[in-house]
Amino acid sequence: MCSGRVDPALILESFLAGADGVFVGACLKGECHYSVGNLMAEGKIEVTKRILRRFGIDPGRLVMRMMSSAQGAKFVEFASAFQDDVAALGPVGSSEGIDAADAKLRLAAARNALADKKLRWVEGKWVEFQEEGNLYGERFTLHELGRMYEEIALDECAIQEIRLRLEGRELSAKELARQVRIPAYRVLRHLADMRRMGLVSVAAVGDGEPVWSSCELEEIPAA
Amino acid sequence: MEELRIGVFICNCGTNIAGFLDATDVSDYSRGLPGVVFSRENLYSCSEAGVSDIKSAIVENKLNRVIVAACTPRTHEPTFRATCEDAGLNPFFFEFVNIREHVSWVHKKEREAATRKARDLVRMAVARAALLEPQTPIEASVIRRAVVIGGGISGLTAARELARKGIDVVLIERERKLGGLVSGLYVLGPVPRDARAYVASLVADVRKDRRIRIMTGATVERIGGYIGSYMVGVRSRGKASEIDCGAIVVATGAVPLKPEGVFGYDGKKVISLFEFQDRLRKGKLRGRRFVMITCAGARDRERIYCSRICCGSAIKDALLVKELDPGSSVHILYRDLMCYGVENEGILRAAKEAGIRFVSYSKDAPPVVEDGVVRVEGDVMGEELAIDADVVVLASPLVADEGASELSKMLKVPLDADRFFLEAHVKLRPIDFATDGIFVCGTARWPATTRECAEQALGAAARASIPLLAGRVEVEPAVAVLGDEDLCRGCGMCAALCPYGAIEIVETDSGEKASMIEVACKGCGTCAATCYMRAITMVHYTDDQLRSQVNVAFEEQATRAGGAVAEPGAAAPTGAGGSK
Repeated sequence: MCSGRVDPALILESFLAGADGVFVGACLKGECHYSVGNLMAEGKIEVTKRILRRFGIDPGRLVMRMMSSAQGAKFVEFASAFQDDVAALGPVGSSEGIDAADAKLRLAAARNALADKKLRWVEGKWVEFQEEGNLYGERFTLHELGRMYEEIALDECAIQEIRLRLEGRELSAKELARQVRIPAYRVLRHLADMRRMGLVSVAAVGDGEPVWSSCELEEIPAA
Repeated sequence: MEELRIGVFICNCGTNIAGFLDATDVSDYSRGLPGVVFSRENLYSCSEAGVSDIKSAIVENKLNRVIVAACTPRTHEPTFRATCEDAGLNPFFFEFVNIREHVSWVHKKEREAATRKARDLVRMAVARAALLEPQTPIEASVIRRAVVIGGGISGLTAARELARKGIDVVLIERERKLGGLVSGLYVLGPVPRDARAYVASLVADVRKDRRIRIMTGATVERIGGYIGSYMVGVRSRGKASEIDCGAIVVATGAVPLKPEGVFGYDGKKVISLFEFQDRLRKGKLRGRRFVMITCAGARDRERIYCSRICCGSAIKDALLVKELDPGSSVHILYRDLMCYGVENEGILRAAKEAGIRFVSYSKDAPPVVEDGVVRVEGDVMGEELAIDADVVVLASPLVADEGASELSKMLKVPLDADRFFLEAHVKLRPIDFATDGIFVCGTARWPATTRECAEQALGAAARASIPLLAGRVEVEPAVAVLGDEDLCRGCGMCAALCPYGAIEIVETDSGEKASMIEVACKGCGTCAATCYMRAITMVHYTDDQLRSQVNVAFEEQATRAGGAVAEPGAAAPTGAGGSK
């Protein structure tokens, strides 16, 4: 198995299972046992860090280090340093100033975002968009791709978090905005989209303000 | 589903493991894990007694999953898989845990923590073992023909040996003449041997063997396929052709560095060792006072590696000079002397006895070559020496051939940081590439003496002949498969990034779909980690198996800390933001 096999979703599974830090070891650049798997992994780790940051989780909890099998001392150095760093950060949530339950929910939303099609598609097309361009032959710079990813990630992460926040709870857009840490108008826009997708519905209208709840997926109307 | 009956064997490895962690505790602990019905310690699991003990335990306890916590799978995974097979169990129901390299050897002073870590690793293995599935190796037929790329002494030797084993060989050489680098040399060392006579005899052997087809002036243009069935596209003197073969030997060699800009190199009075040999051969060597400088252009910022053969070559050539003209003076200025092996030691002693002077210099105070004199701060005496020199000879390293980059891309095999070909494992698989059916020998891999080249070539020929003579090959079934064909949209993302060209997009009744060439797949899993529909399954390393390990990794800590926080939305994500 190659570091290229490390699925971003699996990294989040590890955090959810109780890890406070995740260390990915890979071959040196140009010396990958599987040719270029380590470069693929590097992209995946970078993307995962971005998503962690988006959810307010310290991206320093995830590192990728490259070394060869002949560099035992280097591995010890990396592992010990990471151990110290993570020990200093403490359990997920503590250095971020959020409680354990909230951290868990955010990690679950991050996992869902990374496991779902949309972000995986963009991430998978990253190299192709840079080198060959899209369907119309437009090529993008790293900077443009980064911005594009950020924009898509912004929406995707918000949607995933809203879904989890509404699980078994009824919340107003205003309350969701506070919890998801984005402006209320953007929450409303997501809710409208999500309602079209059959993911949420208005549970009740009290005091002139609707409260929302999540839908069971079975309720999605057939296309 | 049949009842899970997991057996766990904890190897003591004498005191290698049991000396640094509580193996009995780990064994007792594992008996309490879900699905485990049997656990035992072995003094040496890999010994005959250990293996037969495991075998009888499997039969007696009707075990259907076997875990051995011992050392690295590199050496003994095949052993224990075979044990399972002997006991009538599918070998892929075996799971290996490394509690030696990963635990006892690296935590020698932390007995308790090491024991805890061993418990953690065994628990994770048990979780994974529960989800293991039986597998059968993948088989493919092998075309009994080898392609050898490079017609230097390594390639010639490999081709000759393969042909002697009854294998058809196509030998591809870029130049118009066979022989490579060595055909330009004079006398080889450390045991003196006429370079051109050596090459000539090899070429004669190869030419008269009718199993060998020689293509000179030929370049490799593309390579496709996989072990047993490679296709090599060659252009020879303007004509393109395709060769089908079962295995490829890479023997493309290296080139001597022309030490431009080093120690005042001018090709006249300051020359390289190769030019020196050329003058010796042609009898055109002038002068009686020679200074040789080793590590010229080597072990510096640009090329940090030691080229290994230059010291020996310099000493051998110095002795040649002394033989021709005993009254001549030869100084060898060195940083370190790379004189490994009995024979090199022998010529070093002979050189000292013949009056050749050795002066060591440090990297920080390199010799200064002026007209007719070399100034050097001798490391030992600490004083500056001015050595008169008619000719200064620079022992420069071998550097990777420029064509190596392109060839490595075509072969889909890696190069190292110095652009030499990188073998599968420096110590354990020195002639193989990670890609099956491709082998490397000679200076394409690393600077080597002619004898080492010949030895490696014999090795490569022997390794390559295993599948070629068997006519069929078994491949580890830990490969990517299209687990859910309905999910696949045929987007081609996986095919584009597969480092081995093992995925193609094919038209099926239900549209375009990914199709895996199992024999070519090395199981790296990059495709599965990238597939946005998660349609690809890695056999023997499924998402579920990996997740099961991760999920129990912190179980004990969580229990100690007093219960974990419930995780919201644990169900698999679906729906939101779905694409079309």
